[in-house]
Amino acid sequence: MRNLLDFLKDYYHWLLFIVLEVVSGVLLFRYNSYQNSAWLSSANAAVGKVYEMESGITTFFSMSRANEELTLRNFYLERQVNQLRRLYMDATQDTTVKMRQELHLLSKYRLIPAKVVSNSLSQPDNLITIDKGSSDGVEVDMGVACGNGVVGVVYLVGDHYSVVIPVLNRSMSRISCAIRNRGYFGYLTWDGRDPSVAFVEDIPRHAHFKRGEWIETSGYSTIFPPGVLVGKIEKVFNSADGLSYKLQVRLSTDFGCLRDVCVISDKSIAERVKLMEAARDSMNVYGK
Amino acid sequence: MSVELFKRLGWFVLLWVAQVLFLNHIHLFGMAMPLLYVYFPITFHRGTPKWETLLWSFVMGLAIDVASNTPGLAAASLTLVGMLQSYLLELFVPRDSAENLEVSVSTLGTGKFVVLAAVLLLIFCLVFFALESFNFFDWLYWLECAGTSTLLTLVLILAIESVRRT
Repeated sequence: MRNLLDFLKDYYHWLLFIVLEVVSGVLLFRYNSYQNSAWLSSANAAVGKVYEMESGITTFFSMSRANEELTLRNFYLERQVNQLRRLYMDATQDTTVKMRQELHLLSKYRLIPAKVVSNSLSQPDNLITIDKGSSDGVEVDMGVACGNGVVGVVYLVGDHYSVVIPVLNRSMSRISCAIRNRGYFGYLTWDGRDPSVAFVEDIPRHAHFKRGEWIETSGYSTIFPPGVLVGKIEKVFNSADGLSYKLQVRLSTDFGCLRDVCVISDKSIAERVKLMEAARDSMNVYGK
Repeated sequence: MSVELFKRLGWFVLLWVAQVLFLNHIHLFGMAMPLLYVYFPITFHRGTPKWETLLWSFVMGLAIDVASNTPGLAAASLTLVGMLQSYLLELFVPRDSAENLEVSVSTLGTGKFVVLAAVLLLIFCLVFFALESFNFFDWLYWLECAGTSTLLTLVLILAIESVRRT
C-alpha cells in the first residue's frame, strides 16, 4: 500500500497526463458525431462575442467592396425580373400574377438575416459562425444563403450564435443541386483546394447541357428552396466509376468576403419530413 | 507567486487573442500555419510543478480549440508538449543553474533555445497534423505541413524573443 502511495506521489503527473489526453481524445472523436453540444465550439456566447467584435471592425473596412458587389448583383437581378415579367405578361396577358406569386413565395419561407462573425477558407473542413441562434428562430439543418448564392447548412445552434457548414467543407457538405432549366440533379462537393471552385457529382450520362450554364439548388432536399444560385459550369469530367459526369463549378458566392447572409426557414419542412417518414413506415410494413 | 500567475495569465490571453484573431487566418502555400500558442508551454520555468504545466497546456489547447472549432485537437497535442517540456529542458540547462531558471534566449543561449523550441514545435506539429488529417492520410503532405509550420512558428518565436530581450 505504502509502495503504491509512493509510486503515485512520484508519478501522479503521468496519471494527470493520461487523464487530460483521454479527455482531449473524447472531444476529438465525439465532435465527428452530429449530436454534440454547441458549448465547445464558436457557437458559445463568449467566443462568439470576441468574433463579433473582430468582425465589427473588419466589416467596416470591407464595407465598400461588399456594397459595390451587392449593387451590381441587385442591378442584374432587377433586370432579370423585369425581363421575365415582360415575357410572362406577353405570354399570358395577366398583369397581377407577379404580385400574387411573390406573396405566395414569401409566405412559405421566412428569411432570418444574419452576419458572419467568423469564417475560414484555408482548412479542408471550414466552418462559419453567424450571429443568430435559437432565440432568433435558427434551427439545425436550415439552409444559409447570401445575395450572391448558396452558403451552407446550419450545423450547431447556440442561444445567440450558430455554426454553419459551408460548401467549402470537404467531409460534411453535400447540397443537392440541379442544372438550371434542364432539371438533371446531383450533389455539390468540394475538394479542399480552391475556395472558388466546387464540384457537382452524380449528373447522369444521358444529360444534355453546355459549359457556362448555371447550377442552382434543386429543392429536392428539405434544406433549400429550388432556384438558389450555386455557380457556373466550368469543366466536365467523367466520374471515377465512369457511370456519371462530374462538373467543375465556379461558385457564385465569394466566401472570402462573406458578411451578410440569411438563414432560410421553411415552414413546410416539418410537414414534408413527416410525410416522408409516413411513406417509409408504410413501405416497411409492406416489406414485411 | 501571484505576480508570476498574473504574468502567465497575461501571456495566455495575449497569445490566445493573437492566434484566434490573426494567426489562424494565415496559411502559407496551403500548408504552413503559424501556431504561436506553443510558445506558451515552451517558456515554463525550470522547476514548475509538472501538474501545473500540464493543466496550463491543456487549458490553452482547449481555449484555442473552442475558438477554431476543433475540439480536442490542440488540447491533445499541447498537453503532450507540456509533458515533454520539463524533461527536455533538463537536457539543455547548463549545470548548476538556478532551480527556477527562466526559459529564454538570454538564459539558455540562442543555440540551445532554438534547438529546444524546434524539437518541441516539431513534435507538436507532427501530432497536430496527424490528428487533424485522421481520415485522409497523405504522409508527404503531413510532413510538409508539420515541417513548414514548425519553421514559420520558430521564426515568430525568435522574433518575439529578440523583442523581449531588448
